[in-house]
Order: sequence, then structure tokens, then C-alpha cells
Amino acid sequence: MDKPVKLACRSVWKLYGPNAEDFLGVKNVMTQKSHSERHLELTGEQIRAAGLIGAVRAANVEIREGEIFVIMGLSGSGKSTLVRCLSRLIEPTAGEVLFEGRDLLSMPERELIEVRRRKMGMVFQQFALLPHLTVLQNVAFPLEVQGAGRAEREARAREVIELVGLKGRESYFPRELSGGQQQRVGIARSLAVEPDLWFLDEPFSALDPLIRREMQDEFLRLQSMLHKTIVFITHDFDEAIRLADRIAIMQDGEIIQTATPEELVLHPATDYVAEFTRHIPRAKILTARSVMAPSVMTATKDRGGPAPGTYAGDVQASDRIEAIAERIEAADAPFRVLEEGEVVGSIDRQAVIDVLVGRGLVGRDPVRRDPVERDPVEPDPLGREGAG
Amino acid sequence: MSLANPDSSPAGPNPARVNLTRFNPMGAPLWLALFAVTWVFSSYGREFSRAIDARWLMKYPAGWRLPFKRDISDAMKWLVEDATFGLFTFKEFTRGIAWLIELPYDFVRAAVIDGFTIGVGSEASQIAPSLSWIAIIAVVVAIGRVAKDWRLAALVGGCFLYLAVFGQWDSAMVTLASVLISVPIGVAGGLLLGIGAYRWPTFDRVLRPILDLMQTVPVFAYLVPILFLFGFGPVSALVATIIYAMPPMVRVTTLALRGVPTEIREFGSMVGCTRRQMMWKILVPSAAPSLMVGVNQVIMLSLNMVIIASMIGAGGLGFEVLSSLRRLDIGAGLEAGIAIVVMAIALDRLSQAFAVRPTPTHDEIESLQQAGLIKRHPWGTTVLAVALVTGLVGLMLPAVQSYPASLTLTTGPFWADLVAFINVNFFDQFEAAKTFMLTWLLLPVKRFLLGIPWPWGIAIVALAGWKFGGWRLGLLAGGLALFIAANGLWDKAMVTLYLCGVSVLIASLIGIPLGVLSAENERANRIVSAVIDTLQTLPSFVYLIPVVMLFRVGDFSAMIAVVLYALAPAVRYAAHGIRGIEPQLIEAGIVSGCTRWQLLRKIKLPLALPEILLGLNQTIMLALSMLVITALVGTRDLGQEVYIALTKADSGRGIIAGLSVAAIAIILDRILAASARNARARLGLAE
Amino acid sequence: MKKSLSLIAALSAAVYFGPLAPAAYSAENQDPIKLTLHDWTGQLLTTKIMGEVLKEAGYNVEYVQADYIAQFAGLKTGDLHVAMEIWETTGREAMDEAVATGSVENLGETGMLAVEEWWYPAYMKEVCPGLPDWKALNDCAEEFATPETAPKGRYLGAPVTWGGFDDERVEALEMDFEVIHAGTDAALFAELQSAYQRKAPIVLWVYAPHWAPFKFDGEWVEFPEYSKECYQDPSAGINPDMAYDCGKPRGPIWKVSWSGVKDKWPGAHKAIKAFNVENDEMGAMVTKVDLDGKDLDGVVKEWMDANKDRWNGWISK
Repeated sequence: MDKPVKLACRSVWKLYGPNAEDFLGVKNVMTQKSHSERHLELTGEQIRAAGLIGAVRAANVEIREGEIFVIMGLSGSGKSTLVRCLSRLIEPTAGEVLFEGRDLLSMPERELIEVRRRKMGMVFQQFALLPHLTVLQNVAFPLEVQGAGRAEREARAREVIELVGLKGRESYFPRELSGGQQQRVGIARSLAVEPDLWFLDEPFSALDPLIRREMQDEFLRLQSMLHKTIVFITHDFDEAIRLADRIAIMQDGEIIQTATPEELVLHPATDYVAEFTRHIPRAKILTARSVMAPSVMTATKDRGGPAPGTYAGDVQASDRIEAIAERIEAADAPFRVLEEGEVVGSIDRQAVIDVLVGRGLVGRDPVRRDPVERDPVEPDPLGREGAG
Repeated sequence: MSLANPDSSPAGPNPARVNLTRFNPMGAPLWLALFAVTWVFSSYGREFSRAIDARWLMKYPAGWRLPFKRDISDAMKWLVEDATFGLFTFKEFTRGIAWLIELPYDFVRAAVIDGFTIGVGSEASQIAPSLSWIAIIAVVVAIGRVAKDWRLAALVGGCFLYLAVFGQWDSAMVTLASVLISVPIGVAGGLLLGIGAYRWPTFDRVLRPILDLMQTVPVFAYLVPILFLFGFGPVSALVATIIYAMPPMVRVTTLALRGVPTEIREFGSMVGCTRRQMMWKILVPSAAPSLMVGVNQVIMLSLNMVIIASMIGAGGLGFEVLSSLRRLDIGAGLEAGIAIVVMAIALDRLSQAFAVRPTPTHDEIESLQQAGLIKRHPWGTTVLAVALVTGLVGLMLPAVQSYPASLTLTTGPFWADLVAFINVNFFDQFEAAKTFMLTWLLLPVKRFLLGIPWPWGIAIVALAGWKFGGWRLGLLAGGLALFIAANGLWDKAMVTLYLCGVSVLIASLIGIPLGVLSAENERANRIVSAVIDTLQTLPSFVYLIPVVMLFRVGDFSAMIAVVLYALAPAVRYAAHGIRGIEPQLIEAGIVSGCTRWQLLRKIKLPLALPEILLGLNQTIMLALSMLVITALVGTRDLGQEVYIALTKADSGRGIIAGLSVAAIAIILDRILAASARNARARLGLAE
Repeated sequence: MKKSLSLIAALSAAVYFGPLAPAAYSAENQDPIKLTLHDWTGQLLTTKIMGEVLKEAGYNVEYVQADYIAQFAGLKTGDLHVAMEIWETTGREAMDEAVATGSVENLGETGMLAVEEWWYPAYMKEVCPGLPDWKALNDCAEEFATPETAPKGRYLGAPVTWGGFDDERVEALEMDFEVIHAGTDAALFAELQSAYQRKAPIVLWVYAPHWAPFKFDGEWVEFPEYSKECYQDPSAGINPDMAYDCGKPRGPIWKVSWSGVKDKWPGAHKAIKAFNVENDEMGAMVTKVDLDGKDLDGVVKEWMDANKDRWNGWISK
């Protein structure tokens, strides 16, 4: 489970305004780590009173190799600023950014350029295609910058263009393509150098909803082949849930919770997070593990388990309810839940139906109960009825 | 997007609100009181100063004058005669530059008009003729076709045909040659300076005031030093043209680079561009369409300089205009003037077409790649063929090489007769109108301004600066006003202000309604734009002389010329301001039942106010630049001072007077810009 | 190697100079002599005639557009070589200053006489019968008034840069006139033409040689005759307390050159010194160009053809 950390940031601050650094009392970002952590207590009011704008406040993030890490927040929450601090497109006011264990912020320009050329790729919200270059030239551009020969870079560019499904459009100019196609070019371009770390800054936000879905599928398809380490920015919680291994939720420049989608739904850290998760269909998020009845199996440690007649079949603990619901519903008997070959619990039709209609969850989720009850404006059928 | 653009976030709504409360320019009672006090000073200042025996109040004492004039003349002398870099002198350095400019200039001239020769003078033997007139027309037509379509090709072809038919060909080609040299140099220089300003903020801060000066100091003021340094002849004229035409390119470059979307810039960083790659592979290509706007400006300003450049040896159409008018051949002057306009139109439309020209689509490119050399460059090969054929045929048939003089037309007599007719039949009416304006507007304003004691004048200027733009602007304005007084130019500056003020008033009274009209009515718009475009490119000298014939030498004639020239921005900005209003706001007015008049008065005009103020600003700048030209009909202002300095080859005097004009321009520009900013803030519009 | 190089040099010299150099005359130096052109026809004619003559003598000639006064800077440094018309009346000061530096040489008179004076159209004699006497002019000053100057008469003076002391003259002679300065001579003659078309009153500064006295029928005002004392000594002349109480000086039009011309092109130097034309001759040519609309180069050629002996005399050894 715990793969090596690819990219991490510690206590990263980005303040805008006059003398922002003096305000934090940070002269040398490197040596003042503990110092800047002290500022965790700084409130928004204090920052505003100083005439500053706190775009990112004390952000801590660890992104592991091969995972899709989504930073989610509404506009103005600081997510775009954070991702730019992570890639050092913006110099953070304070804090530390470690890429493969090396401090990105203290890196000399030459080295930084080298890291970006070989190890990073980025996809932009408005595509950021160069209007005067063809698709082929755009995709080959990062290689051109590195000084690759024409034949070599064009061959590689053709490969990735085919990968994103634009074969045959190599000589088109960006303005001749639809938005979705343009973003495919953007994706192809960012993949041309085979980056280890892939930043996607709201890549699908500028697209129509239908295209957006198609592109998300495409993205998942690509990731299943490429296994990149991904930092994905979005303001769309559905998108985050759909794509993420883990999600960091930002509000007013702060990361208020970092967790898997399932954890977010089950244990939202604040009201704000709960607001987002409320309308998300549980079946898509929850796994068999969090719905199963673990107690059932504790007695039966033997390998054979209970008599075969008792159970209709097996499901994996990591299976999403959505995927297994039909099977379980159709059977009369409960299913065994397996994790690494071990039986860890059982799941029956009732549990699945509860999830599908949104019943009974709140009982297992004390954290979640409060926010919902405190919100009289829009009663949530999921939470309320279950609680009652 | 959240805070991806750090520049915009701190300048959010907060500073605007601060502005609003801090500088409220609507302190009407204050201004009224000030005006009243000034009026009293102006009316009784002279008597008062005599009564208390303090004449220095009215006339800046000669003993207090700063010795700038002499210092500058001395510095110039030192620069020309003694300054040295060790290995070579400053003059050798500038002459070296002159030589570098002259090389391509001679080549282009040879190509379009002189022909290529070997040897000098009587030993010269021609080795190749210049391009024939047919070939040159073929070239521009082909460029028009490539840039856009056949319509444009026909337009530019027609423009150049005019030059041939009206006998302006040779002069026009000389002018074309200088434009073909000064524009690339101006563009390249502007681009590099603009890039520098974009990259290094300190450089930007240093460059800005210099650009302001380049645009506001009248060209006449620095012609003499340029002549000293670059020698006599076309190169000095080219240098002056470049100095005059380059600043907009610098500004446009900086703006265009800043305007490249942040994401594109970030993309450049993320693929690991070095600084150089970032500039030349990402920023400049992405900004190319905006940069073309700057190129267009350089072309137009270069053509504006044609007349003045011809005074110091550029020859060409400008010389044609001057010498025609010198012998009062108004028709010939007009034809040569229109030749300048026509050339401006052709070059303007071509450069604009290139600015918006779409890159070819993929299949166009693919089909081209499969075709052969001739097919790939159909226009290039056609033009080459035409040039070769006409060149060869031209050796035997001179009419093919140069347009036959017997086929040229002239409308000279018609214009002479027309002016004579108007002069004989309507002079009295003109005279009456002129007398009325003089008595009720021009003379009272002149008396008022000249009556203001200079210390009070400086105080008022500083106060206005402070009120509108804070203490910095107040200091700047007061300091500049003091500079003028300290150089003994206060009275002349007041005459300048009076002429400029009255002209701007009248230009606004005519121009703003015209602008509103053309924003509302497409047909009116087309006519109005054509007229003001012509007025702006037609050398003012062309209409200055007929104006003198009808209104005599004097301030009134000068005023008319200034109004005609300075009208354009008043019209354009008003129209632009009204067109730029959110349609929703107008719809809101309509649904609340506004009449057309109410719509205009209560919604459109107030919302267009910031634009109108900017237009006013531009009108003032143009009026000031025109005053130097009106010195040619005998005004007695700073323009005349600059002109006298030119004819006396007095660098110091010219530069000081030129700087004083610039000082007035900068004071007015900053105060107006500040008030336009305030107006925008009040309306909650973004910068 | 060296030999072959010099052979090529000799060959090319033969090609370039051999067949082309005129047999009759030879120039000392093949560098072009730069003659300045200004913006009035008379000067263009004078300069082009000189240029053509020098060409006949085998010199290379280049015409350079330059400002009348600013050109002295170029003449001093040798950027420019010859200026054919420096008027006593308007250019004397600048010329003397330049000659004093030693870098500029005065090559003597052109033979033309510059006249500058107050001038009125002939029809004004009907309104003001005493003309051309200046006292008569003063008596009918009101006839020349305009709304801006009334009751004083309006006198249209030359551009301020030309000098001329008209303001002083009006004061010294106690004339009821106001001096209005035109900014350029184009403006000056524009007003004259306008007034002439309407037969309107006008008195203004006119100079000769110029096309205006040919085109328009009129006369010079007769002031008390010019003398040096009148300009310098207040007690001389009608008004015992003030100078300038007399008419304007009439003076020659000078030719000047860079002082290096003498050594570099001695023959040309001699020819320029010898150059001589007269007022009427020049006036007629100016009229042909400016009023009859003839081609300037054609008029020059006509003169060259008609005066072969004259200019041959200038360039013969």
C-alpha cells in the first residue's frame, strides 16, 4: 500500500501583498521550517488585517508514486496556486517542496529546467497550445526544447498522438480542432517526454459535460497503461471522486482534509466537506469492506469457512458496492468478503439495499451525523431517514 | 481560476475604492473658487504687480533663468567634436551607424527607383535597372493577394496605380524606400526594447519617461543634433523617423508579451524552456498578432514623418508637397499629399491583413507540400517573371520601365480654381465667422491665460496634479511647470496652451458628437472614418496653405489646422466608448422605457466617459504635436521657438523648447489619465 | 601574386575610367561634389545649373537636400561641399560666422541681387494714390486694416527667422501699422494670392528673385534709402532717437563652399567662383518653372544649350 513518496510539500505558504515574507518572518525558507509551522495558528483575519491575501496556507501534501492525487476546491480556494507552488511555477512565500526527496525550491535554475524537461508534464485548463504550431509540432515541442533531433521528436510525437487517438490530425492547427481534441493534444504533449510526475490543472473544466466524461474515461484508460504519479486539480467533486485515489480538499487556501473518496464520505472532517459528499451516490464510493458485517466471521477462522450453502459467493473487500450490488441482490444468501484471500466479513442483500437507498449509514458514522442535523435548510434523505 | 495571476489579485476591488474616497475630483466648489481667484489675478495681476513694484510676478526675471540652453548647446558641441570612446569618437560611432543604415537604404532605392550602378557620378554605369513600375505594382498586388484576398490586392494595386497616373511615382518610390528601411529598423528596435522592458522592470521604469519624451518632444527640436551626428542626407531623416515611430512598437511589445496567457507562459516553464527559448519560441510567436498592431503603428508614424523628413534631406513625396506649396501650386501639393495618404492606406491595409491573417489550414499546407516549386510559390514566381520580363522589355520600351510622363494626369488647375472661387465669393462670410470666433473665444482665452502670474500658474498646476493623482503627480506637475518658467518660456507656453486648449475644445465639440453618431449609425461611421483617416495621414501642410488663403495668417488659421488634425481621437474614442458598453445595460435602459435621448444622456454618455476622457487626452497630444507645424504659419508659441531654433541650428534652444512642449504634454496627460482612472473606478469598470 | 593583383587593378581601371572619362576635361578627384538643394525654385535652378556645368567638366556631382541655415554645420565638417545661394539679407550672419571658423569659404557673388522690401499690388494705387512713397502708405494705413488690427493697418511680415527689423521700422518711422509675421514664405504668398484674387488690400514682404513680382502686378514701397548708419546709429535718418528709420538693404546673393574644395577640386573651385547669372535671367527661369509649369530639369537644359560659351568660359583652364 505505502509506495515511496514522489512529491511532498511541507508547510507551504503563499501570501500575496506587500512584504508578505516579512509578515511570516521568513527570510530563509529553508531553515525556517519549524518557524513557519508556527504560523499554522494564523487566522484569515490576521492575514487580511495585514493587507495580505493568503492564497495557500500551511499546506502539507504527500503524493505517492503511481497514485492519482486530486486537489479539489472551489474557485478561489487556492488549489491552482498550490499546484503552481508544487511545480514551482510560483515561488511559495514559505515552506518546502520535495520532489523525489530533493528540495525543488532551493534548486538552481539549470537543475530545475532539467527536472522539468525530463520528469514533469503538465496539462492546462485552457489547453495552452501554441497557436502557430501544428498538432505535431505542438506535441513535439517539449522535445524540441530539449534539443532532440527532428526525426526523433516527430517519431515520438506521432506515437503519443496515436495514443490519445488523434492519428491523422498531425498537420492540423489548434484552431481547427474541437475543445476536446485540443485537450487531447495538450495531454499528448505533456506525455511526450514520458514524465514521472504528471500535473493536470483542471484539464476538463473548459469542456462540455458529455465530452468531459469521455475525457475522464480516456484519462483513466491512459493511466491504466502508464501508471504515472498524478496531481489532478478540479473544482468538480464528482470528477474528483471518479478519478482519485486520494483527494485533498481545499478551502480558503487551507487543505482541510486529505483522504480517499471513501473516507471522505464516511468521515468528512468538517461541515464544508460534508456538503460536498452529501449528494454523492454511496454505491459508487463505498467498498464492501465498509459495508460488510465483520463480526459474523470472527468465530470462523478455519480455512474452509462456513458451510458453502450459507453463502452465495465471494466478493473482494475493495470492490465498490455499485459493482457487486446486482449479484448480491439477486442471491438469497449473503456473500463472503475476502481480503488477500482471507475472509474478513460478510455482506448481504439488506446491506446493499441500504447503501443503494441511502439508509443506515449514519449509524456507523458519528462524525457525519452532526453536520447534517445542523443543516435545516436542505434535509438530506440519506442521513435523516437513516438516523430516524 | 483562483489566484493563478498574482498581478491581478492585489489590485482587486479594494484599491479602486481607496481611489474613490481619496481623490474625489468632484470638488466643484473648490474649482469654482480657484477659477474665480485666477480670473481676478489674471485681470488685475499686471496692475497689481506694477503697484507693489513686483514685476517679477508677471514676468519671470531673466536673472533667475537656468542656463540649460547654453549647457545643452555646449554638451552637443562636446559630443560632436570631442566625445570619444578611446578607440573612436562618438561622432565616428554615429557615422558608423549612419553607414550601416545607408547600405540597405541605397540597395532598396536602387531596387525601386535608381537602378543598380557601379562607380560614381559620371563614371557610373548601370548594371541592372530598377524594378519597373509594372513589376512593383505586381509585387504589391501579389502581397495583397497572399495577405488576404483579391479585393485587397485590387485596392493596393489601385493605390500604387494612382501614384503612377498622377505623376508621383518617382517621389513615391523614394518615400517607399525610406519606409522600407525605417520600418524594419523601428520594428526590430522597438521589439528588442519592448522585450527588455518586459524582462527587467528597472529597465521598464527608465525607458518609460524616455518613450514619453520621444513621443512628445517635437521632431524639429532634435533634428539639429541628429544632423550633426549622422550627417546630411537621407540617413538623418531616417534616424529622425525611427526615433519618432519607434515608441508605440516598444509599448505594444511590452503589452503584447504581458498579454500572453499565463498558462502559455507556465507551459513554457513546465517543459523546461530556458529564458531564451521562452522568449523566442513561446512568448514572441504567441504575441505575434498583437505585435502586428505595433508594426502597423510604426508604418503609419513613419509616413507621418514624410514631410518633416524631407526638410532634412529625405526627398520623396514630402519634398514634392513642400515645393508645390512653396510655389502655391495647391493642386500639385494636394496630389502629392494624397499620394502619401494612398501609400499609407495601402501599407496600412496590408499590415492589418497580415495581422489577422489566419495561418493556412492543414490541407492547404499538405497540398502545397506535394506541389512543385512553382506551384508552391505561385505569387513569388509570377512576380519574378513579371519583373524579369518588364525589366528586359523595358530596355527597349521605356514606357514599360517607367510610367510615361505623357500619360500622367493632374487636377492642379481644378483645385486652384476651386480655392480661387471660394476665396472670391465667400471670403466675407469666412471673415465674419472668423472675427466672431476671435472676439468671443480666442482672444478672451488668450488674454486670460497670458494674464495669470507665473507663480500662481505653477501653484494651480501642482494643485490639480495633487488633487487628481496624489502628491507625486502634484510634485511632478509643479516641477515641470517650474522648468518651463525657469527657462523663460512661460509666455510662449501660455500661448501654446491657449491655442491647444481652444483647438481641443472645438475638436471635442465637433468630434464627440461625430463619434456618438458613428457608433449609432453604421453608414455615418464609414464616412466619418474615411474622412478622419484621411485627415490624419494627409500632411497638414497640404490644407494649411488653403486655410491661410481663406483665413489669413494668424492664430485662427493655426487653430483650424490643429482642429482638423486632432479631431480623429475625439471621434474614435467616443465611438469606441459607446460601442463598448455592455448591451445588457442598454437593454436595461430600453426596458425601463428610456427614450433614445435619455438612453444616450443617462446611460451611454456616462458609461463612455472614461473612454471619452482618454480620447480627450489623445486629442491634446495630437494638438500639441501639430502646434510645431502651425508655427509654419506664424504662431508665437513654443512651436515657433522650436522652429526658430531649427533654422538657426541652435541645439540647446530647440531642445529646451521641445522639452517644454513635452512638459506641457506630460502634465496634461498625467492629470487626464488620473481623472480617467478615477472615472473608471467610480463606474466600477476594470482597468 | 602581387603582380597579378596589380594587373587586375590596371585592367579594371582601364575598364572603368578609360572609355568614360571625357576627353576635353579631367577632374582632379572622382569623389562626388555635394551641392545643397533647398526648397525654392530659384535656388534649385542655380544649383542644378552649377551641377550640370561641373558634370560637363568631368566632375561627379551629388545633390543633397539640406536646410538653408542648418547646412552650415555640414559645410563646416565637409559633409556638404557647395551652397549656391546665401542671401545677404537672410544668411549673412550665419555665413560670416561659418567663414570665421575657417572651414567655410565665401566664393563671391552669384551676380544676382537680393531685394527684400514692403510690396503692394498695383490696384492699391487706386485706393492710395500717393504710393509708392512710404508716407502716402502711412496716410492710408486704415485701408489696410483688418478686424484684428483696426484701426492700424496690417503689414504681413516674413517669418521671424528672416529678421528684417520690420517691428523696429514701424516704430522708428511712427507708422500706423501692425506687423504680423507669416511662418513660412508659402504662407506669405498664399495670402498675397488670396488677396490678389479678391483685389483686397494688402501690403507685405516680398523678395526677389522670385516668381511673385513676375506673376503679380505691383511695386515696392519706397522708404528712405538704406545706409549702414541708419541701421546702426539712432541719430542718423529721419528719427533722431531710433535706428532702422529707413528701407532695407539690398545685397548680393553669395556662393559658399567647404574650404577643402579648393584643394580637392581646384578646377571646380574655379568654376564655382566664376559662376554668374543675373536677376532677370533667373526671374525668367523661375517664372517658367513656377508659373508656366515647365519641368525644372528641362529649363536647366535649355539654359545650358543657350549659354554654351558662357559656361565653357567658367570651366576652361
